[in-house]
Amino acid sequence: MIRINEKTIEKFFFLSAFFSALVTCSIFAFLFVLGLPLFSGGRFFSIITQPWAPHLGHFGIYPMIAGTLAVSLLTMVVAFPLSLGCAILISVVDRGKMSWLLRKTVEMMTGVPTVIYGFVGIFLLVPLVREIFEAGSGMCVLSAVLMLTLLVSPTMILFFCDSFERVPRSYGDAVLAVGGTEIQKFLYVTLPHSWTGIVIGFTLSLGRALGDTLVALMIAGNAVQVPGSLFDSARTLTSHIALVFAADYNSMEFKAIFACGIFLYLFTTILVCAVRLVGGRRKMAG
Amino acid sequence: MAETVKIKTRNLSFSYNGKRILRNTSIDFAENKIAAIVGPSGSGKSTFLLTLNRLWESIPNCNLEGRVEMKFGNTFHDIYQKKYPVTRLRRQVGMVFQAPNPLPMSIYKNVVFPLELAGRKDGEDARIMVEQCLKKVGLWGEVCDRLDTSALSLSGGQQQRLCIARAMMLQPEVLLLDEPTSSLDHKAAAAIEELLVDLKGQCTVLVVSHYLDQVQRIADSIVELQDGDMKGRSLVFAA
Amino acid sequence: MRKFVEKIVPLFSWMCGIVLLVAIAGVLGYLFLKGYRSLGLKLIFGTTPPLDAFLMRRPVFNGLFPAIVGTFSLVFLAICWAIPVGMAAGIYLAEYAQGKTKQILDLFFDVMAGLPSVVVGLFGFSVTVFLNRNLSGRIYPCLFISSIALAFLVLPYIIRTTQIALEGLPGSLRMTALALGASRLQNIVRVLLPQSLSGIISGVILAIGRCAEDTAVIMLTGVVASAGVPRSLLSPYEALPFYIYYISSQYVDQEELATGYGAAIILLFICLVLFGLAFLIKKRVNLYSLYRA
Repeated sequence: MIRINEKTIEKFFFLSAFFSALVTCSIFAFLFVLGLPLFSGGRFFSIITQPWAPHLGHFGIYPMIAGTLAVSLLTMVVAFPLSLGCAILISVVDRGKMSWLLRKTVEMMTGVPTVIYGFVGIFLLVPLVREIFEAGSGMCVLSAVLMLTLLVSPTMILFFCDSFERVPRSYGDAVLAVGGTEIQKFLYVTLPHSWTGIVIGFTLSLGRALGDTLVALMIAGNAVQVPGSLFDSARTLTSHIALVFAADYNSMEFKAIFACGIFLYLFTTILVCAVRLVGGRRKMAG
Repeated sequence: MAETVKIKTRNLSFSYNGKRILRNTSIDFAENKIAAIVGPSGSGKSTFLLTLNRLWESIPNCNLEGRVEMKFGNTFHDIYQKKYPVTRLRRQVGMVFQAPNPLPMSIYKNVVFPLELAGRKDGEDARIMVEQCLKKVGLWGEVCDRLDTSALSLSGGQQQRLCIARAMMLQPEVLLLDEPTSSLDHKAAAAIEELLVDLKGQCTVLVVSHYLDQVQRIADSIVELQDGDMKGRSLVFAA
Repeated sequence: MRKFVEKIVPLFSWMCGIVLLVAIAGVLGYLFLKGYRSLGLKLIFGTTPPLDAFLMRRPVFNGLFPAIVGTFSLVFLAICWAIPVGMAAGIYLAEYAQGKTKQILDLFFDVMAGLPSVVVGLFGFSVTVFLNRNLSGRIYPCLFISSIALAFLVLPYIIRTTQIALEGLPGSLRMTALALGASRLQNIVRVLLPQSLSGIISGVILAIGRCAEDTAVIMLTGVVASAGVPRSLLSPYEALPFYIYYISSQYVDQEELATGYGAAIILLFICLVLFGLAFLIKKRVNLYSLYRA
């Protein structure tokens, strides 16, 4: 009796794992099948290259791909040095009150809902950008980049701190023992030994910047165009999905959002694979 | 005096993490005697014990070939056979580890735990058995008034004796001990040695040890493990 | 040059730290300053007496009560789906899966954890369309669909925290009960799970926080701006994060905007309490569980 039960429960474990993996596959399958009408007849490449002009029958998502890449990559340009600096402050430069305060704040920030960054972005940051840079409505790439920086930095900072702490103590002690300073120890020993952690933190944060919907949707302006400057309005793939969603389900316009979904799926999957190549999950698992 | 054989290994080869521990070994262990397993550190003495209760199956990266047979009842059983249930084997072959490993429960719960796992009733019989086992290891007097306190509050020597008592609960026919005294002080070690000699009449004891004086005091036979070979050595130091 | 770098790095790091602190203080301070005045029973219940609202005797029209109830029921349902499946899959991954199977499952869950929530939402919507056409024409985006989609979103986190908590246990503990004749399952249930419980619980709490704050998934699967308290699993519903988003673009007067600030403060409070709880239970929360896409 007990044996039968045990086998059943173990089967449940297996089926749960199998089911969860199946969900991952079926998400892709659903996007692909529903987006199929758009890809058929050799139109796959036109999707990538064409502009978005539904009234002319063009359903290219090129501007959205460009918008997504511009917003997320620029976010990383700002967030990466900022996060590295904060991580250095927390684990090397200051070991006192500031380090404690910053660490606690950063941990707290990981819990702040995304929609709040968007909300405050609209009413605080957008007017500021408008006033300071005299940039149209203020809803632009720059505003989104600044808010997204706040969104992705905390995880990156914690990843960096963690990878600094993983470097064996004895390495650093060797530097201190010959009269080196804490900064020297960090620059010449800790930093070179923690690059995998840094790459992983960077990649995961990039994934998050790519995949975030709310911040870009609320403050990037959502104009369908390839942004030419920081003060241009832009629409990301994620916002595009949310915006077109209201359209008629059977239209080609609607089908295009599945193409957006597929691109987002592929982008993030590539990033995940990159992380696994660099250090494997062991590093993330901590 | 004729000795009956309890455990036979036949062409047993075992490697762990690419390191060969046993090569094609066939050796017998006598019933109700104490056999000491000695050898240089790192020769795989502890890992060898795991081949006898199939715990090696839960370590990754190891590979085993050959057979081990044990006499339960009057017949020898191939313990690696699929149809021989591993849980039953482990109830018949008790094991005590090098570092005491009480579970984070009360003293009483720890000792009665194997009975619960075997699905036996937790009644008055169980209480009596717990008392008997704790008495056997000489721990009853020290803990009888605080059976409900955490086992982790005991001293190292007490914890190790508790683990032996726990292993005794299912009245195993074979008891494997992996350097059971190495983390204990002299006095606690002496108590455990005495206990092993007492146990000899009821079960077959295999003890890994690297204290030569200890081996001389308690062992009936010595097996030396070196470079993947296992040689029985007769005892010549008896007076 | 070296000397210069050694001088500039501490300076730079202080700058970064201060910029970050000022920025987040600015964001949260602004929110609080603008919103604290609107906090109060009226924000939640409008003009309806609270007791009547709780007993469903009278609907709440100009308060956050329906959105709060919506968010709570949504989170509750999603976690109910995700916990059993997620924990079981985590246990399978940590204790049963080996070799190739484990590697492949690992990859799948990593990919799933990395998916943007809007993609998961789109999936939830596609499934609804599929069901609507093939199963029953009465199936529309609703509370039930949203909770399933959200469960998919947090599933990988729960799988991971369970797996990591179990794999982190020392090998000696793993063998203790086995040596005493425990079966694999007994070992898991009686020894390994109780020992890794704090890790698992903190992971689950973080998952709750994620469900509560997510907007993109529910946007595509059934949340609406005004629906009242959800009547059944198959009805549309309101939720706090969506309300905040909606107000930010559709507010008509300052009073309505003020409720948006109030809602944001309430949501922030809920999420921070959950995160605080998770950190309290386990001092060092696994970084992986903090990552969200």
